[in-house]
Amino acid sequence: METVINDYISRELVQDPALLPLADDISLLESGILDSLSLLRLVVFLEERFGVTMGDADLLPENFASVNTICAYLRAREPGKQQAPRG
Amino acid sequence: MDDGPARRLLHNVKGMVFSAVLARLPAALGYRIACRRADSLFRCQDEKRTEIAHNLQLVLGNELSPAAVQEATRDWFRLASCDAVDVERLRYGTRPLRRLVEIRGREHLEAALAAGKGAILCTGHFGSHGSGFSVLHASGFPVTSIGRWHHKYLPGLSSAERRFWDLYLGPLRRHRQRPNIEPRPGRPEVAALAASVLRANEVVTIAIDAPPLDSDRARAVQVPFLGHRAGLLPGAVALAQVTGAPLLMSFMYRAADYRHQVLEISAPIPVEGKTATVFERCAAEMSAAIRRSPAHWEFWAKTRDLAVLGLVPAQGDSSPAAGPVLPPPGRSPNDGSKDGVPARGRPVPAARSKRLRLPRA
Repeated sequence: METVINDYISRELVQDPALLPLADDISLLESGILDSLSLLRLVVFLEERFGVTMGDADLLPENFASVNTICAYLRAREPGKQQAPRG
Repeated sequence: MDDGPARRLLHNVKGMVFSAVLARLPAALGYRIACRRADSLFRCQDEKRTEIAHNLQLVLGNELSPAAVQEATRDWFRLASCDAVDVERLRYGTRPLRRLVEIRGREHLEAALAAGKGAILCTGHFGSHGSGFSVLHASGFPVTSIGRWHHKYLPGLSSAERRFWDLYLGPLRRHRQRPNIEPRPGRPEVAALAASVLRANEVVTIAIDAPPLDSDRARAVQVPFLGHRAGLLPGAVALAQVTGAPLLMSFMYRAADYRHQVLEISAPIPVEGKTATVFERCAAEMSAAIRRSPAHWEFWAKTRDLAVLGLVPAQGDSSPAAGPVLPPPGRSPNDGSKDGVPARGRPVPAARSKRLRLPRA
């Protein structure tokens, strides 16, 4: 999963070649890799590639802080690992 | 000149109360009085009048005669005054305003939504656009707006002023499907939130003429705009390209009687191709709308914003617009200018408006 996501971000979203190769723990927001539209592209990619649907509540910056946190977030959403909805 | 928060607030509260009273009157009378009040402000507010006329001349100088500049300036005051009445009419529900607004091109929006991918309505800070979208929402289209409420972020506003603007803009917030999606630094989820609105097959509105924040300037594209090159953010087009949502233009025009309005919605704009190239088409539509009726554009009174866009030379912080520029709905009812020096000479003759003339209801 890390490789697939890292490849996509490196290929499609990284504008500055100096950031390559992309470390899995680099901050995607602070490094400027993710802005509003690139985050949208990433969300569309993740939904198509991993078959998840992300609602408004999932669009938290901390879920997209790095390749590692994206993977942790996706793994938490795997069947059987999802948190029960609040309320 | 003392322009402290307390005095500014008092001035704005007076403007809001006045507009609220006018909103309770029959429309013909209310909007006529709003125009009279605007004419009085036009004569009294030398500094603001000069600023607007100067900016019109700088940007459209080759296209407008000096008389046309004066006419557009006077009309700018009238439209601002009427826009404030629109907002106050919304305080009593949408029906009082709906009766005065004709939506043209709703078939384009219906066709766009029939594809199931939502629709993006591009506009500018043009006419009573905020109220227009409230009317659109009330007429059955679920509308959510992307945009910043400026009063939340402007430095120099007191907490009382921020509360005032929250109260003033309440009617616009109320008549939306979802809370405003506010782009600001440190909030990268904005486009994804907009995409989720579109995924629900709803309508997203975006003003494409907003001056980019410092943090966004690198993403701005230089496009032909009003005979100049302006740095604008093409996010609306990029959003359409990523989500597949149709992109339509919309403009809210006030009729020559000042109380009836038309919300015009265009056919979808083709979005295939480079983002910047497609965005040029949107900017061209925006330019055409402003040229068609310059007084409808809010930014003539905002020199600093015009400078950020690249339409006028940048000025120092002492420019009239460099202080707290009070926020829209389209325009604030009164932005705190209070140079009470009466204009010399006769008032400018009544505008021979080239704006839309609607059939009387």
